[in-house]
Amino acid sequence: MRNMWLVARREFLEQIRGKAFRITTLGLPVLFAVIVAIGYGSSVGVGGTNRSMVIASSNPALANAVRAQMEQGAAGVHSIIVVAPATPEQRAALVGQVRSKAIDGLLVLAAPVDGPPIASYFSGASGDFITITRLKDAVDKGMLDEHLLGAGMSDTAATAVLNGIPISTYQVKQNGPPVASNAEASFWKGYVMAFLLSLTTMLYGLNVARSIIQEKTSRIFEVMLATVKPTDMLAGKLIGVGAVGLVQIAIWLLAGVAILATPFAAIMMTGQFAIHFTWVEGVLFPVYFLLGYLLYSSLFAGLAATCETEQELQMYMPLAAVPTWLSFALIIVIINNSNSAWAVAGSLFPPTAPIVMFLRMASEIPPAWEFGVSIGLLIISIWATLWFASRLYRVGILMYGKRATIPELLRWLRYS
Amino acid sequence: MPVVELAGVSKTYENKVAVDNLSLSIEAGQMFGLLGPNGAGKTSSIRMMMGITIPDSGCVRLFDRPFERESLDRVGYLPEERGLYRKMNVLDQLMFFGRLHGVAAEDARKRGTDWAKRLEIADALDKKTEELSKGMQQKIQLIATLLHNPGLIVMDEPFSGLDPVNAALVERILLELKDGGKAILFSTHRMDQVEKLCDSICLINDGKAVLSGRVREVKERYKRDHVIMEFEGDPAFLESNEVAEAKNFSGHAEIHLKPRGNAQKLLHEAATMATIYRFEMVEPSLEEIFIRTVRGSNHA
Repeated sequence: MRNMWLVARREFLEQIRGKAFRITTLGLPVLFAVIVAIGYGSSVGVGGTNRSMVIASSNPALANAVRAQMEQGAAGVHSIIVVAPATPEQRAALVGQVRSKAIDGLLVLAAPVDGPPIASYFSGASGDFITITRLKDAVDKGMLDEHLLGAGMSDTAATAVLNGIPISTYQVKQNGPPVASNAEASFWKGYVMAFLLSLTTMLYGLNVARSIIQEKTSRIFEVMLATVKPTDMLAGKLIGVGAVGLVQIAIWLLAGVAILATPFAAIMMTGQFAIHFTWVEGVLFPVYFLLGYLLYSSLFAGLAATCETEQELQMYMPLAAVPTWLSFALIIVIINNSNSAWAVAGSLFPPTAPIVMFLRMASEIPPAWEFGVSIGLLIISIWATLWFASRLYRVGILMYGKRATIPELLRWLRYS
Repeated sequence: MPVVELAGVSKTYENKVAVDNLSLSIEAGQMFGLLGPNGAGKTSSIRMMMGITIPDSGCVRLFDRPFERESLDRVGYLPEERGLYRKMNVLDQLMFFGRLHGVAAEDARKRGTDWAKRLEIADALDKKTEELSKGMQQKIQLIATLLHNPGLIVMDEPFSGLDPVNAALVERILLELKDGGKAILFSTHRMDQVEKLCDSICLINDGKAVLSGRVREVKERYKRDHVIMEFEGDPAFLESNEVAEAKNFSGHAEIHLKPRGNAQKLLHEAATMATIYRFEMVEPSLEEIFIRTVRGSNHA
């Protein structure tokens, strides 16, 4: 027991003092913020649209209505010129301007008397789908606006019809009053937590594996095994590296709390884009991190003991990542119905449980018994994985020279 | 009371018998050489002694008790393949190994510093292991082996990688430890060191003990069939019928007589051809005994 804690302490201190810890502690949140910022920026229309555009139509009212819609929604378009009514010669000349890159895009709206309007778009590029989607939205709304106004509806009423009616959402909790919520914000909160969970679990699981391979390569096991039991060594390593992960998560949480105390957080915590963190999430995040980490790291530890180099270990990585991919593949199912059979099964199946449970919690906290079963199954599977891993570890760390074959691995299990 | 005892120990890996019914024992204050060609089973035997692997049969006793892991706190082990944490500070590393053997942190720091001064590497204590030369790492490994003042010291090839000056320093330390009552076992290929340092030896080949006992007794088992000669003149007498094998180094010859070779006849023949300055009958060196025994056991 004494030696297990000494091994854990050494692992903890060496990793905490390491450059990699500092880089990931600071770098991951920054990287994540950059990814979110890029995603947010692209969703509000930075890029993807032309800088100058001409709308040519035989119907000036329709052309102006479409321009109004485009100016409302399409950021990035510097100028929109309307040529209406436009003759065929003018249209041909404008196509020539597109060709000579004098303008970036030309939207032609033909309005035949005996049929619906026909829209055509000319540009130097084949057109990205974001631009086309926005154009279609503007044309549809513009046409509807023109018809409503033509039918005698007031401008305010027509705008209300076009914009639709916003729905305020409230989540009704078991105790206390309903809380204003936002499905999109909740989803992103759950997604971010699940992503962090999968990232840290894999990251620290891999750290354990890498540490084992380095000790195997440097032959330090020979010295260690003359003092420490293999099971104590493995347990010490898992505890030490896991503690590093918990410290890192604690730093992120503290930084998060510090950010929440700033005016910026007020935007996140109030209004329509409200994100609410509950104590259940606060408690379960470290619990699922620890369980997920122990499951993956014990699996990685067993695999690492059979490898000679980190390159060999890389070959197993796609297999180990399958549960993570599977978890995120269930996102659509979970968004549609967080209590569907697939969602419940995913949150109980140990390899996918940590991530899927957090994705489910984003929309609704599952019943307590599901948490109980999920955590119970995780503990049982950790025990089983550790049983196999410690046997592979005991024999594998003293085997040098070549990669073990499957029959050899089976023999190792029998030896110990 | 034997400090370590192997009794009829065997170990088989897959289809290869690594150690076959090996027995040996080492007393306190004794230096013991475990000898054998590469792949003979030396490291496998040591690993069983250290509890790294478990014997298929036979038993290992440490400090007069059946093997138990707690006894390892009183054992210092220096493996053949050196193992240190490359990125770790040297003093932290020594303290870590000391604490694994039950030494208190401050005590481990003091002992580590004292040993580093003794081995002339005090400057290395605040460096990372990877910054040190191979010889210095070897000394750090030796300190890690001795820091907890073990009663039994087991070393697999302790002199590999050391220059003659440092090898002599380590030899002196080992002799002091032996005089202080420690039991020391080491394996080596350097027969000159075994002759100089060891009280007893065990030579193993193909996992079996083929020769064992006190060094003096072992050597006395072989008759004096070696001649050292210094001469000037015609060396044709080296091809005499009495000679099995001879090496001539410009007037200095080492001669191995035939089983029934007669040294007096050889001296008489030599005297007719050359001026003899020295003619001495010596016992075979441990290296010759080693080679002869291994060859003999391979042909058996």
